Amino acid sequence: MHLAFYDLKQHRGRFIATVFGVGLLFTIVQAMNGLYRGNIYEGLALINATNPDLWVVERYRGGPFNEQSTVSGFYHYSVKAIPGVEKASPFIYYTVERPVADKSRHFSIIGYDVFGGLGGPQKIFAGRNIEHAHYEMVAHPKLGVHVGDRVPLGLHAYTVVGLTKEAISSDGEALVYLSLPDAQEVLYQRDNEEIRNQRERLLRTLSSQSYLSPNQADKLLAPLQSDTHIINAILVRLKPGADRAEIARLIDKWLYLSAYSTEDELQLMLKGRLASMAKQLLLFRTLLLIISVVIVSLVVYTFTMEKIRSIAVMKLIGAPDRVIIRMVMEQSLLLTIGAFLFGLMLIQNTYQLFPRTILLVSGDTLFTFIIAFAGGILASILGLWHALKTQPAMALGG
Amino acid sequence: MEILRIEGLTKVFGSGRLEVRALQDINLSVSKGELVALLGPSGSGKTTLLLCISLILEPTAGKVVFDGQTIFQKDGWEGGADMRRLRREKVGFIFQSHNLIPFLTARQNVLLPLSLIGIKGKEAETRVKELLEYMEIADRADYLPALLSGGEQQRVSIARALANNARLILADEPTAALDTGRGTKVMDMLKRIARENQSAVIVVTHDERMIEGFDHVYHLKDGCLERNVMPESVNE
Ligand SMILES: Nc1ncnc2c1ncn2[C@@H]1O[C@H](COP(=O)(O)OP(=O)(O)O)[C@@H](O)[C@H]1O
Ligand SMILES: [Mg+2]
Repeated sequence: MHLAFYDLKQHRGRFIATVFGVGLLFTIVQAMNGLYRGNIYEGLALINATNPDLWVVERYRGGPFNEQSTVSGFYHYSVKAIPGVEKASPFIYYTVERPVADKSRHFSIIGYDVFGGLGGPQKIFAGRNIEHAHYEMVAHPKLGVHVGDRVPLGLHAYTVVGLTKEAISSDGEALVYLSLPDAQEVLYQRDNEEIRNQRERLLRTLSSQSYLSPNQADKLLAPLQSDTHIINAILVRLKPGADRAEIARLIDKWLYLSAYSTEDELQLMLKGRLASMAKQLLLFRTLLLIISVVIVSLVVYTFTMEKIRSIAVMKLIGAPDRVIIRMVMEQSLLLTIGAFLFGLMLIQNTYQLFPRTILLVSGDTLFTFIIAFAGGILASILGLWHALKTQPAMALGG
Repeated sequence: MEILRIEGLTKVFGSGRLEVRALQDINLSVSKGELVALLGPSGSGKTTLLLCISLILEPTAGKVVFDGQTIFQKDGWEGGADMRRLRREKVGFIFQSHNLIPFLTARQNVLLPLSLIGIKGKEAETRVKELLEYMEIADRADYLPALLSGGEQQRVSIARALANNARLILADEPTAALDTGRGTKVMDMLKRIARENQSAVIVVTHDERMIEGFDHVYHLKDGCLERNVMPESVNE
């Protein structure tokens, strides 16, 4: 007999309220599962899409995404000169907050060699790739722009010539591709006042050197201006059959740079920026599951206490313990599974509404279900303990 | 044929200064189809006796033989009768009130002991229907207990006690919560069961008017059983 079901039917209101409440907790748990997957997906998307044979970055740095890396622009010629290297392209990546279409937007800019260099967008779904050295951009539609729009960044406006959805910045924001010099300009240009001030400062320092004539000092000023030909990484494609490890070693030894494979880069991201986020989300999910178990446990306990006399009657007429255990445990599982399914239904209908990408993976759903199921069994323990110690003689009392 | 024999049954609650001798050296034998009434004032040990018979409470001393099997013996007995199993297979219980499982309908309440002994499906349905008709309560089959009157509830309880074809029916003041008319009706049903079903029926009551037509009447007084000299009027 479906004793658990008949009893819950009597307490429909409380059953539904519990399923609703705990179900919302499960929605959050599953949203966090999806957020975790989404974060990993986004965090790795650009690395995966760029996928060169080697990433060359500033020495001892895990750049260019996990950590800042600065390399002088001309180094890519040195890398190119290493035997076995087919192509070495400069690459720049940074995050900005700029007004776009009257709204302040957070996005990342990639600068790359638009004439055959690595690191540019591969698949353009509207418009075309960048074909001119200046003032063209390819953007992710998340930026809220269309082909043909002109987006002012700093001193110039850039025309959107194409849209790509392939990659997204590692923090889930829109990605904008510019030519390398454009990207460097957007990054390093300062306003005129600032440039004048800095020239003043430098000139004063030089003039105070007793061995320099004012004329010499003036001549030194130009070459001492801060260098804006700075890149973050060099993307390398190897010739077929080239030994990647050996080339990485050469770069490390002779150029005083670090070289990573794409797999290394992925691991750097996973172990670096993404790892603490993963731990954080795991902690939250664990807490939420514990809260769910506690709530279900208390509700099952009240259900059990309310029918303690019925349990005594059942024992009196000879019901074996397993009938009673089943009744209590089934109630707990009905509550938990009901809540899980409600949560699942809710997240599947709302995940598009979240600001960050929620990536629902059926393996995660299954795993959460197994945890929920185990939690449901756990939650019945308090009620079971009371049910089992109930004396059948109690049925006759009072 | 003897269904139940009790020898020297004693039950002591507590110890020392708090000791209560609820039952003292009780001897009793009940046969198939016999109707036995157990009379006595409140606190005389009637309920305790029923609980000891069904081993819901463990007696302090004595011996209980049920359906040819020694189910309890204080000394030198290694037994370990599965009393829950005996209860669901061979005993039926009716008590004063709150007998029924409140979240099950009358039909489901009667179905419960059947499902406990593995009778299911059509066979169970038919048996439940018969029992409810026998107790003249079939028209209330799908009501929850709360919607039934006290008398109707007791009739459903009797139907449930009969479901497993009990050899022994133990009824603890089944009419106490009912008015005289309904009480008499419930008592008549119990008598009918003993006659037609050949079950042994032990009814605890403190209402002397209800014992008309019983085979044996015992009095419990301070835990001691006195075989009643059957009043002539009752026997007629
Ligand atoms: N669990 C118990 N613990 C201690 N004393 C009890 C317990 N149950 C019953 N008694 C005592 O045993 C005596 C008989 O009780 P009971 O069998 O309930 O009487 P009756 O059913 O005849 O009214 C009473 O004095 C009662 O207080
Ligand atoms: Mg009593």
